[in-house]
Amino acid sequence: MEVDREDGRSQNQLRPLACSRNILHRAHGSASWSQGDTKVLAAVYGPKAGTKKNENPEKACIEVIWKPKTGQIGKPEKEYEMILKRTLESICILTVNPNTTTSIIVQVVNDDGALLPSAINAACMALVDAGIPMKHLAVAICCCVAKSGYVILDPTKLEEQKMKAFAYLVFPNSVRSVLPEGSLRVEGEPIENGIITSVTHGIMSVADYFYCLERGRAASVKLSDFLRRNLQQQSTDSSKAG
Amino acid sequence: MDARLANTWRLTLNEKNFIKTALLSEIRIDGRKPFEFRNISINFGREDGSAEVQLGQTRVMGIVTAKFVQPYRDRPNEGTLTIYPEFSPMADPSFEAGRSGESAVELGRIIDRGLRESRAVDTESLCIVAGKLVWAIRIDILILDNGGDLVDAANIAALAALMTFRTPECSLGGEDGQEVIIHPPEMRDPLPLILHHLPIAITFGFFIDENVVVIDPIHNEEAVMAGRMIATVNANGDICAIQKAGEGVSQRVIMQCLQLAITKAADITKQIKAAVEAYNSERALQKIKRETTCVGNSVKGDQNQTLDNKGISELVGKYMERLKLISVESYASQNINAEEIKSLRRGTDSNCIKFNSTPLSWDPYSKGVDLECLKASVASQGLSTASEEKEASGQEKGSEAESACPYEDVNSKWSAVDASTTEMHVIGPKTLKDAVKPKNKRKKKVSSMI
Repeated sequence: MEVDREDGRSQNQLRPLACSRNILHRAHGSASWSQGDTKVLAAVYGPKAGTKKNENPEKACIEVIWKPKTGQIGKPEKEYEMILKRTLESICILTVNPNTTTSIIVQVVNDDGALLPSAINAACMALVDAGIPMKHLAVAICCCVAKSGYVILDPTKLEEQKMKAFAYLVFPNSVRSVLPEGSLRVEGEPIENGIITSVTHGIMSVADYFYCLERGRAASVKLSDFLRRNLQQQSTDSSKAG
Repeated sequence: MDARLANTWRLTLNEKNFIKTALLSEIRIDGRKPFEFRNISINFGREDGSAEVQLGQTRVMGIVTAKFVQPYRDRPNEGTLTIYPEFSPMADPSFEAGRSGESAVELGRIIDRGLRESRAVDTESLCIVAGKLVWAIRIDILILDNGGDLVDAANIAALAALMTFRTPECSLGGEDGQEVIIHPPEMRDPLPLILHHLPIAITFGFFIDENVVVIDPIHNEEAVMAGRMIATVNANGDICAIQKAGEGVSQRVIMQCLQLAITKAADITKQIKAAVEAYNSERALQKIKRETTCVGNSVKGDQNQTLDNKGISELVGKYMERLKLISVESYASQNINAEEIKSLRRGTDSNCIKFNSTPLSWDPYSKGVDLECLKASVASQGLSTASEEKEASGQEKGSEAESACPYEDVNSKWSAVDASTTEMHVIGPKTLKDAVKPKNKRKKKVSSMI
């Protein structure tokens, strides 16, 4: 079903992606991610000594600080911090550096829809730039369901507001490995079929949700390819001191 | 406690001695001469009033926003200007989230003195209704990367953001002349702020021997220096503010530093102005492109509301959001349909109309009619009923202005003019005079036919 989106994209078309690593000098790892007009900056410091009070000292701890563009930090920012923290905890290998804290600071430079997925992608790139050990990368996408039932990907802020419901979905990235295929499966399914995080807003039927998942997964393959190309191109810097 | 000590960044004694010894021979660790500034690059964001400045390794972002407030009692016809510095923890491992430390407060105060107390920003032009409604300008300064000399970079970011910020034009209207109408950016160009001069902050670092002075210290040098002076000067040679801390320094050295600061300020002012010029011309080009392909959307009546004192700020906050959304929308929408224009005239209440048009003809009059509708709906309290009668009168006005030519003829006339002129002009005829179009336009039309 042909759907007219305002900027002329098709249903499943993502906005132009741009990403750069290692843009800040003091931070151990940094990345900037932009999808269309939404732009997010992420910086990583870590691992630092000690964990917070309520955290398990036998594992590494991840701390997320979300900075909005202007204004005070309120409940929505705290929610984003929590979602990011849980997502990143599931992809980082926490047993390598016990009793340490890795801080991730996310700064919103411009918000034009799909903010949380952009932030997750940026944070993931920043972690790679900092050299924090991870099991696999996380690829995040936003899917909207309209009143008439069609699903569009990567909405702008206006589209997000007009839609009946939208979902932020985070998938593991596609795996390219030299190991035999069987060993990478989790309970008989390939890793890419899993889902790390899902946050929905608004009402959608179960069928719609599964349709979103399908579309999202297809798009996440494209995003994984983009990430892989981007990470391979940029040459790694020498280690930062201080 | 131990963890925090372990995590703080400290220079080793060797590094400190190296920096000091090198400075005695006028060598700096990054290769600059003592009175050499680092390269400044200024970039602007997507929206008006957002600028990012890179001074060597230091990276600062300045964002300007505005909202309506009631003025202070003792200054009823002046707007307000507040600065919010934020030392993001991404800039430096020692910056903590949450409450900013004293250096953040100091930075905010220095920039505030330079901009507000020296009257660089004209606050009287921010007044809309004396004693009741003024613009409150808020400047957020986000430090993204601390490579030293944050005050200078933050100041440049604040200036660049202020120079490119635009407030929507407001006028008084309505029945009793007390209601405020905010014009959306498609109808009337938003207005820039008035800046009388550009105060530039220059930081000097003093080391043990008072003859050793450097300008624009990097963060390693800042950890070693014994004293610091920040002079805010402008290109005219006026000193707007001075902040000095640390070891005592003789008067002669201070005077030399001030002279030097004025020279450097002239350079930096030129750079800022050049960057802002480039941004403004690009913005003008984009605006022409945007308006040749689309015409204002039919804005719902409730968005151009008349304001009273209650609930002003939230309404405007919402409206400012909507303004931004509208401009994004209009940028994104592509075409105009002749039939849709007619439906616009009837004042159909759809949120976002997609238009289809021939790319070359640009039709200011369809906008003109739209604004008549809107103005009618804005001025009266009852939105739907009054609009129709006034719309009829609006159409009459339009036709009267063109000496009883029908709507379509007017369109074709004006598209002919526009094909021959490349000048960009403000859209939104409002009164009879405006509907007739300014005289210079007519002359051009005549000359093009000759």
